[in-house]
Formats: sequence, structure tokens, C-alpha cells
Amino acid sequence: MDESLLEGVRVLEVGGGFAAAFAARWLAGFGADVVRVDPPDESLTADEQIYLLPGKRRVATEPAQLRTLALAADIVIEDQKPGTLAGWGMGPLDLRAEKPALVVVSVTPFGQSGPYATYEADNIVAFAMGGLMSLTGHPSREPLVTGGSQAYCLGALNAFGAAVTALYGSMVQGEGDWIDISLQEAAAGMLELYGPGSAYNGLGAHLRAGNHVRAAWAIYPCADGFAGVCALERQIPALFAAIGDPELQDERFRDPLQRALNDDELQAKLYAWFGVHTKDEILAMSPKFKVPFGAVLTPADLLENPSLAERGYFDEVMLPDGQVAVVPGRPFLGFPWTPPSALHVAGADTASVEVDWLGWNV
Amino acid sequence: MAGVERMKRLPLDGIRVLDLTMMWAGPYATRVLAEMGAEVLKIESPSAWDNIRTLIPLEGVEEPWNGSYYFNDYNRDKKSVTLDLSQARGRDLFLGLVAQSDVVIENYRASVMDNLGLGYETLRGARADIIVISMAGFGKFGAERDHVGFGPIIEQMSGLASLTGYGDDEVPYKTGVSYGDPVAGKAAAAAVAMGLIRRRKTGLGVHVDLGQRETMSTLIGEAFVAASLRGEQTPQHGNRDVRYAPQGVYRCLGEEQWLAISVRTDAEWEAVAGLIDARELTNLSLEERRRRHGELDTAIGSWAAEQDPQAAMDALQRAGIPAGRVLDSDKIHDDPHLAARGYWVELPHPRMHPWKQPTTTWRFVEANPQLRRHAPLFGEHTREVLSSLLGVSESELNELRAQAVIGDAPLNPGIG
Repeated sequence: MDESLLEGVRVLEVGGGFAAAFAARWLAGFGADVVRVDPPDESLTADEQIYLLPGKRRVATEPAQLRTLALAADIVIEDQKPGTLAGWGMGPLDLRAEKPALVVVSVTPFGQSGPYATYEADNIVAFAMGGLMSLTGHPSREPLVTGGSQAYCLGALNAFGAAVTALYGSMVQGEGDWIDISLQEAAAGMLELYGPGSAYNGLGAHLRAGNHVRAAWAIYPCADGFAGVCALERQIPALFAAIGDPELQDERFRDPLQRALNDDELQAKLYAWFGVHTKDEILAMSPKFKVPFGAVLTPADLLENPSLAERGYFDEVMLPDGQVAVVPGRPFLGFPWTPPSALHVAGADTASVEVDWLGWNV
Repeated sequence: MAGVERMKRLPLDGIRVLDLTMMWAGPYATRVLAEMGAEVLKIESPSAWDNIRTLIPLEGVEEPWNGSYYFNDYNRDKKSVTLDLSQARGRDLFLGLVAQSDVVIENYRASVMDNLGLGYETLRGARADIIVISMAGFGKFGAERDHVGFGPIIEQMSGLASLTGYGDDEVPYKTGVSYGDPVAGKAAAAAVAMGLIRRRKTGLGVHVDLGQRETMSTLIGEAFVAASLRGEQTPQHGNRDVRYAPQGVYRCLGEEQWLAISVRTDAEWEAVAGLIDARELTNLSLEERRRRHGELDTAIGSWAAEQDPQAAMDALQRAGIPAGRVLDSDKIHDDPHLAARGYWVELPHPRMHPWKQPTTTWRFVEANPQLRRHAPLFGEHTREVLSSLLGVSESELNELRAQAVIGDAPLNPGIG
């Protein structure tokens, strides 16, 4: 049996907001020994705690003692306001000077420097400042935040990736690093063609287009919910074949330039076609015609999805009252993944961590 | 520790990546690898090139595949090598490169690599400890393996789109970008580092099967908790929050200028009520603020409508209130904070005027990664790479070019 990839790697999660907790959750799943310093005021909802905290030991530690724990770790992931760690006598560069192999990942709304470094933000503010919100929502209504906590999730993804990359660098070079992840920057660098387009052309902003970027790149109501299509030029013939309307063979739809001028008419045809097909019927056409069709599925739909079951995607979390929650598991296959153990109680593991990490005798 | 050097280098210095990916998800992953110091060889065929090159052709530009800001955004700091993998000679040369590389990454549909005769076992035959990253939309195996999908499809199929919406019309919404792509890309870059850690610890390579839909669903884990524990579908709640009130996005002075505001505590609400001159609302509890959310939105909105968005944001922030402009794709390039952090960088390009490009998100404070070079021209490094790594001679290169195994331009480029 393959030993867990991060077996023996110690991770200290300081702060405990969504982004730090999520990044550390993946490190735990891949085998790291993760210790979460529970914040005095828990900001995660009960459901977020069930998803993000299993598989971690949880300690209640005064800031004065944190430095010792940090120096016993291989990776520190923290989301405190810039300057906070230094105020506790454990600035990232000082920790690094004392333990050169240490990796410190700071994930904050605006990063460690600049005029907004100490500005307040939660998910929606970071999402707005990163540019994604201006592109999301209906053009006749206000800009819309995407569901869940996506600004935090992007922070977590980047914090996790940077942490394992720096850990590899530390294994090779003997030197870790301090990584400054900004939620705003994580989003600002993924504005598809719109960000670079505005920067290059100087023609102003591209604004939200709702669910219809164009007729063949859209979400439509279907017979039993909502479904979508995203066809590039090379997939247009296959899309038209799937729809089967002979009028779509006209030059005004086949020619890319003319099609752009007749987008409303094509959209009306697609509204009609989607409206009389179910999600299952539409999805069955994706592999058959090699057309990127999709359906708007819910978490409940996915819990029953045979493909995800076959791939062993979901994990189970045992709760203190004996109930079992089913949650998304590993982000990808290829490395041993430890399904989350039971959810620990806040502060419950202080003594065991002092023994394991600090060598204290109880 | 053996092999340790004291000088600070980028973490992936010395790692060579063969990049077969196209569009956004895969190229985004390999852009990160390049930022972290890896040498990324982007492999394209003269007959099957990365469509992003020609998706948004600039008008009046010769060789549009070499002058695309969009292509450039995902492919800077890489080298371009042409090889037609569907020809035996191209495939052989590719396997020769595999023998001298650390990582192969691809985002084809699940069956394509096997159909090209380049499945994992074949790649491992060329290099035993090769790290292979596959990032098909729905994974390499499973009932949905042959489904095709771009980022918005992944977002719909992951459950995320079902959670996004204004809440009053039950219409699900897509995020304004192909959100599944960058999410999968960042996860794939992480998977490469994990493969390198595994190789260093065990001497073994790995085949990573990254189903993009699965990565995306991990971003809404709490909605799966609600569904599995209580049978609840997480409601669409517009711009409101489950734990705080009020929260929303409010129109300010100017065209399409908006401000996001989130009030987390009674004290913050008291400060906001004072700022917007709605003192009669000052003492509302969280429960009351929730119940009267619409009324509070109107009060905040009336105030915001008279405010410059930047000044309003700064005023709220001075009072300790989370507030941020809804920066658009234009204004974000003028944000003083991003400017102060040196986030936008201009690089010279042989065919294009300079423009502001985002620097790396992974700000290694000490190793300090920097953008180095524009995206490669089509096939720009074919000769250099094939001759230096595989010893291909000048006459062989000419022969390969004649057979369109390699090329200096895409064959029959159209739109898209």
C-alpha cells in the first residue's frame, strides 16, 4: 500500500477562515498532519465546518504559544490581517530565518502590501474587487455574486497549489518561502478574454451578459429544468446535426460572420429546441454528437450520479450525533486520499499536539 | 540533505514539462508551472493548433495566430514546438522528448491520448518515472467519460450554477467567465507539484486523473452537506449572505458603477447607518436587519446613488466596513492597489503593442517569480528544441517540414 503523499508533513492552520481551512483540508486529505488553531470567534457555518474541518486536530492556543507550534510545522497556512503574525512575535520572515525549510502561505483579501492591505473584506467584496462580479449576472439587473464562497475558494486553490509547490522546492533546495496570496489577484488574473481584451484594445469594459454570451454559448430553460450548450466554431456543424432543423443548413446560420448577425434568430430556435427536451435527453447527445451540452444539476442530483459513484468521488463524514454527511472527496485521482475522519471538537486536541509536535510530557 | 543548494531558486527550476493542452484550463496550469520556473514546451500540430490562437483574431493583423492578446494571456513564458502526433514520425519524436522530460500534461477528451497511441503505459515506456496529468472534463473512466465540455458546462454539471441566481426567479446563472477552466488549471498545477513530491520520495511517477467537474464540485462542499444531511437544495440568495445582513451590491454615480457592501456585526451596522444618515435604523438587531433587508437595501442604495464609488469604498473602509467596488474589466487595470503591488506588467511582443498583463498569483516573496517573455510565436522553438534535445539535423528538419510533421504556421487557419 502506497503511503500517503504528505505523511509526516506538519501543517499549522492559523486563522481558520474559509480559504485557509479549505487549503488545509486538502493537505489533510493527502496525508498531512494538520493542526487547526481554532479562532476565538468561529466564522464558518455549521455546514462549512462539517466540510472543511474533519481530518484535522484542533487546538486552543494563545498567540504567545503559537510561535513554538509554527516552528514545529513544515507548512503554516494563515489568513490573518497583514501584520498580525508579526505582532504575535512570529512574522513569516522571522519564522523563515529561524527555520529555513519552513513554508508560510498567507491568504488575505488584498495581499500583504499596498494601500488596501488592511482593508476589510469578506467573500462578496473580494469577488467584486477581483473583477468576476462585473461579468456575472443579468445585464438588466445588478452584478451577481456566484454561489458558495468562490473568492475564498480561489484563495484556497491558490494557497494549496503554492503550498505543495513550495514544499517541493523546500525538499529540493532546503529552503521554503513565504507566499503572499491575494484573493483579489487570484480573480483578477482569470477574466478570460475580457481582462486582456480591455487592457489591449482600450475600448472600455465588457459587462455581464447573463446566461447568453451568444446563442451557441448559453443556458436555456429545458423541459425539466435548465440546460446549456457551449459550441465553438468547429462544433457548430455537430450542434446543428444534433438539433436537426434543416433550416440551420442555410448560409445565414452556417457562415460564422452571418451567424453572428442572426444570433437572435438562432437563439429563438435553441429556446424552442431546449424547451421540448429533458436534461437527460440533452446530456445523452453530448458524447453522441461530440457537442458540449450540459445540464444544470444540483448537489442532490450529483449524490445520485452513477459516474461519480463509479469513480469513488464522495467521502462520508461521521458527526458527533451519529449522522453521516456525504461530501465531495479528492480534487483529483492519482494519490492516496484519506477520507475525513470524524469531526473533532474545537480545542479537543491541544494536549495531544503538545506531546506530538513539541515533545512535551503530560 | 543530498543535492541541496543554498541559492534561492524558483521551486520548479530544472523541471521540463511537455504541454499538450489547449484552450484555457490546461494552458493556465502550465502558465503557472512556467511562472514557478519550469521549462514548458507547448506542443501543437500544424493541423491541430491551440484554437485560442485564432479565436479572437485582431483585424488587419498578419498571422493572427501570432498576435492574439488572448492566446498570449495563457501562454507566456512557454516555448512553442510543432509536432503532428497523428503521424508516426511526430509521435516518435514526441516520445523522444518524453524520455527527457519530467511531466506530460493534456486536457483532451478521455479517449484521445489512447487513440494517438500515447496512453500512460506508452509514456511510461519512454520514461519510467514520468508524471502524467490528464484533465478530461469528466475523468478518464466512468459512465460520463465521453461527455465533452468547456468551463461553463463544467459549472452547470458540478452543481455550482444551481446555487447562483437572484433568488426571486429561480433562474440559475453562469459565472461570467468559463469558470471551470481556471479552477481545473490551478488544481492541475498543484497536482504536478504533488507528482514531483511523490517522485522525490519514492522514485515513482504517477498518472493523475483530474476530472474537471469533480474539482469544481469541491468548491461547494457545504451545499453537499445540506443536501445529504437534510435533503435541502441550497437556495439562490442573490447577493445576500447566510450569516450577515445587510449585504448587497449598490449602484453608485457613473455608468455601471457598483459597490459591494457587507455588514457583519451590530457595531458595523451602527457605523453604516450613521454614514448613510439613516439613524432611525441604527439599533436594528441581526434578526431585524434580515427581516427588513429590502428596506435597508433601499436606504443604502439611495445613499450610494449619490456617491463616487471609490470615495464611498474608502469612506466605508475607514469605518472598518467590508466594501469594495465591482471593478470591471477596464477599471481593474487602473486600481491603485493593484498598481502599488506591481500586479500589472507590460512585456514587449514582436507583433503587438504593450498592454497590462497580470503577474503570477503565487507571490513567492523570496524567490520572487517574474514574467519573463511573451507567448511564443507558432513553432518558434521547434528547431531549437528538436536539435538540442533530440539531435535532429537540418536536413531532417526540412524533411519533417515538407511532411507537415512540423510547421511554421497553422494549416488552413480559419476562425476558432
